[in-house]
Amino acid sequence: MLLEMDSITKSYGSVRANHNVNFNLRRGEVHALIGENGAGKTTLMRILYGMESPTSGQIKIEGKPVAFHDPTDAIKHKIGMVHQHFMLFPAFSIAENIVIGGEPKKGIVFNRKQAIEQTIALSEQYGMPVDPKKKVADCSLGMQQRVEILKVLYQGAETIILDEPTGVLTPLEVKELLASIKALTAQGKSFIIISHKLSEIMEVSDRITVLRDGVVTGTVNASDTNEEQLSRMMVGRELIKLKRSERRDGKPVIELNNVSMKGNKTKPLLDSVKLNVHEGEIVGIAGISGNGQSELLQAISGLSSIDEGTIVLQGKNVTGASVKKIRDSGLAHIPEDRYMWGVSKEATVSDNGIMGHLPRMSKRGFLNSKAIRTLVSDWVDQFGIKTGSLHTKAQYLSGGNLQKLIVAREIAQQTPFLIAAEPTRGVDVGAMEIIHGELLKRRDEGTGILLVSSELTEIMKLSDRILVMYEGKVVGELDAATATEEEISLLMAGGKAVGQA
Amino acid sequence: MDKLKGTLQSLVQPLLAVVIGLIVGAIAIVIVGGDVFETYYEMWKGAFGNFYFLTNTLARATPIILVGLGVALAFRAGFFNMGSEGQMVLGALSAALTALYIPGPGWVKMIAAIVAAMIVAGLWSAFAGWLDSRFGMNLLITTLLLNYIATLFAGYMVAYPFKDRTGSAALSQTEMIDASVMFPKLFQGMTVHAGFIIAIIATLALHFFIKYTTKGYEIRMLGGNPLFASYGGISRGKLMLISMFVSGAFAGLAGASEVLGTQYRFLDGSLSSANFAWSGIMATLLANSNPIGTAIAAILLAALQTGGMGMERNTDVPLEISSIIQAVLILFISAKFTISFIKRKKAGAKDGSAV
Amino acid sequence: MDQLFDVSLFAAALRMVTPILLAALGGAICARVGLFNVGLEGLILIGAFSAILGNYLTGSIAVAILFSIGFSLLFSLLFAYMSINLQANVIVVGIALNFLAAGLTTFALRAIFDVKGAYYDKDMKGLPKLDIPLIKDIPWLGDILSGQSILVYAALIIVFVLQFYLYKTVSGFRLLAAGENPVAARSLGLHVKKIQYIAVLICGVLCGLAGAQLSLGNVTMFTEGMTNGRGFIALVATMLGQSNPVGVAGASILFGFMEALSYRLQNFSIPSNITSMLPFVVTIIAMIFFKDSGYKNEAKKSSGSSR
Repeated sequence: MLLEMDSITKSYGSVRANHNVNFNLRRGEVHALIGENGAGKTTLMRILYGMESPTSGQIKIEGKPVAFHDPTDAIKHKIGMVHQHFMLFPAFSIAENIVIGGEPKKGIVFNRKQAIEQTIALSEQYGMPVDPKKKVADCSLGMQQRVEILKVLYQGAETIILDEPTGVLTPLEVKELLASIKALTAQGKSFIIISHKLSEIMEVSDRITVLRDGVVTGTVNASDTNEEQLSRMMVGRELIKLKRSERRDGKPVIELNNVSMKGNKTKPLLDSVKLNVHEGEIVGIAGISGNGQSELLQAISGLSSIDEGTIVLQGKNVTGASVKKIRDSGLAHIPEDRYMWGVSKEATVSDNGIMGHLPRMSKRGFLNSKAIRTLVSDWVDQFGIKTGSLHTKAQYLSGGNLQKLIVAREIAQQTPFLIAAEPTRGVDVGAMEIIHGELLKRRDEGTGILLVSSELTEIMKLSDRILVMYEGKVVGELDAATATEEEISLLMAGGKAVGQA
Repeated sequence: MDKLKGTLQSLVQPLLAVVIGLIVGAIAIVIVGGDVFETYYEMWKGAFGNFYFLTNTLARATPIILVGLGVALAFRAGFFNMGSEGQMVLGALSAALTALYIPGPGWVKMIAAIVAAMIVAGLWSAFAGWLDSRFGMNLLITTLLLNYIATLFAGYMVAYPFKDRTGSAALSQTEMIDASVMFPKLFQGMTVHAGFIIAIIATLALHFFIKYTTKGYEIRMLGGNPLFASYGGISRGKLMLISMFVSGAFAGLAGASEVLGTQYRFLDGSLSSANFAWSGIMATLLANSNPIGTAIAAILLAALQTGGMGMERNTDVPLEISSIIQAVLILFISAKFTISFIKRKKAGAKDGSAV
Repeated sequence: MDQLFDVSLFAAALRMVTPILLAALGGAICARVGLFNVGLEGLILIGAFSAILGNYLTGSIAVAILFSIGFSLLFSLLFAYMSINLQANVIVVGIALNFLAAGLTTFALRAIFDVKGAYYDKDMKGLPKLDIPLIKDIPWLGDILSGQSILVYAALIIVFVLQFYLYKTVSGFRLLAAGENPVAARSLGLHVKKIQYIAVLICGVLCGLAGAQLSLGNVTMFTEGMTNGRGFIALVATMLGQSNPVGVAGASILFGFMEALSYRLQNFSIPSNITSMLPFVVTIIAMIFFKDSGYKNEAKKSSGSSR
């Protein structure tokens, strides 16, 4: 056994990210670590790489217990990590990126020539061809990942951790990566791969460990299992279906046609997205975050521009319109990152509350403090927002209470169309119930809601229709009444639903 | 309770800075061989000792308050407008020229002078804002550079075309304005003039504007979190030009106030050497861009300056001590040395994360 | 009829380039580690005053230069501590340091020399000028390149030293890395904070030299506020030159030349006010052409403009 993680528990205050997790790795094996967002996979690997210390539990390398205080300790034990967000220097060449930290030198002079030679030798040894002189900024993401892997190999890694390696790769690049992994294991390297992409995992792994809510739900050999079984292990929980009134057939409040956003990477951010939301319906977009959902919402709300396609809101073409115009045309928006978009931390609760309500809350250019006070206090009562007073600064509210304020604010806009992005992220159960109740109430009143969430249970609980996004495309549309969790999580992970080619 | 806590917390930092400033000043006094208590006593007398000195301080504070208010507005919107000196000078020049050459009764000239000052200075400031939005030029640098261009231009204007050729003095200045255009003094024989009243009104007006109007709200949100502002539909580009214009207009008003109320002409270099604009910027930084706080800080800085002069008259200690105290003040304000910052640092160490 | 573009113009230009160049190089090093140093103006001023002080106290040029470097170093340490350790807003700290420098030098001028406005001692020796053999005999070019103060030559040498350091040595490479992507650098075990400190201190030394050239390089005197915006012009040179030593040198030469030209134009009955505007106007126009995103973003982040 190359390395063992015994009974690892990691708590952040009262939140348990990992609970009694056992994980081990044999030499020369590819061991995948899978689970939903927030299952605890990245936390576990950060502990292995020395970026975090476990609350309890032990790590053993070749049978000997070790304690890592920072990544340099892990590197000394020949563990290397390729992060989900690359740690590269775009302005430097590939060779420079690979050798940094252990540069070949002549005195104080950086021997770049030798760095290039060493890079070529390394890339030939491991069958991962790169152009050592090329600037990383000019490289495709697949190439950049190759550089990251070569970097850890240069540092002498025997165990390589890959965190969500295929998220940004094209299908061809994914093939090349899987081939490289197989070639490297043939040379004695061992891999731990964190992923949620079941088909790729099935293709390359020897063993698979499934995490759910910080706990291991199973460790299996890849040859003994299949994708359906894995997704059941990832997701399997009891579903609470909320009572709701029959879906009314209404006219569409928003229509997207052929919407594409290129971005500056090889894969488009949005790829010919076609969707619509009708009056009185909730359309849920399921998907692991990072598959184009954020870009979709930015495009609809007017914060980003699209390269192709049209967006029609309430019958009006709002493609390319300003945020204000789009809001005035009937959009309200619960943003997915409340601190980045949804509030101004330095401002008070009431200041944050009136954003978007200014016309109603002012008279001839002056703010109507009485009306504002009434409006926001009503929300405080209705939603149970815990705050010292209306003059408390937003930064002092807990995440959940801040979210309740934002939800109250946007729902109160009484618009025909509402975006709800991760509406209950980081929110306690009680607040979640309240927010869900309000969203359903608006739906019953005739609002069309576009719900984006990485929590599958939320999607299934609230939606009338479910769309699944994967790599910037809508890959499936299901009727919520009949969809199963396994079907949806399969689509989310890039798999094909039963009956598809 | 929160409000009280918040107010107290926001006072700790400036008070601490003042204390440290006075301590450093004391050290400097000792170095020069003066007596700390006697020196500080003379300083107090020079600033507030009697009615004459007190009104002197207020007269000096007038342009500082006005500049500070303009800068406060720009800072609240999130824009580093460092061009107050140039804006003030152009405003003063415009006021002087308008007062001298516009026909009409005294009060017409006065209003025209003020308006001209505010418009010219406002445009000069908005120009920098335009360079930023059109060419992406760093606002901080452009406003600083424009300062020099503005003061040099104004200097040229009074050295050649509009030079005062009456009288024997060969100074670069305009002629003196007519008595009917001068701001009335507030008290017989004292230096403080109507400009001070304007400054007080402006302070209250800006306070109300920022706190109670919709435009003020938009500016606050833009400065607090520009992403939040655009998410809410606030138009950044337009608001930037407006804020920069108004910010410059305040500086222009400060210039007009000095011309119409104290100097009665535009004299090349007089506004720069008195450091009115930079003191205004300092006042804003000290008060964290709060209008009323800015006015108070401006009076404080003016007191340090007039007190310094008094100190110089009656002791051997040079008045530059007050510039040291002022600079130390600003240095400590720029350090985010608040109680909550220290608390947060301690909390970070407890998490157990290695990196 | 005076010629406009003659030897003495170019010689003067080279002399005036030097303070801007040295400060701009310092600014470039700071920018390379992610610190936008607006306090160059103050650092040069401190250097200028300290050089005069050192010269006054000992009469030795070497001591004068040591003084200018020493006090600027102290000052830049303050900048480093507040920006790096206390995490204060880099722009506000820079502005504060400019105020502090102005106040301190004015105070010291009174306290030590008992004068207001300026200190001038006609017997004080300035920086020694070097007549370079061989070069001084080249017609026209020789009169420009030879006979300049030692700091002028030092500045030109430093350009190439810094170019070599940044792009050829391991230490320079890591400094660039720390600024290029501090998160990645930290994950590799590089001490980003230490690198930033070193960068700021190098900047301090360079600004000290800039100040020494300013107060001792031509006429030996110190005037209140004598930097007169050069620190900000240097900052623009940094941005125009994309924080690359040779590029910065190019930009600095442009601005230095503008300054010399502005003085020379006064001989042609153009009012001094208008001629003095030249460097600033050219600087602003030049800013249209700098489009490197690195510092713009950095400045955007801290100054909050151009959103």
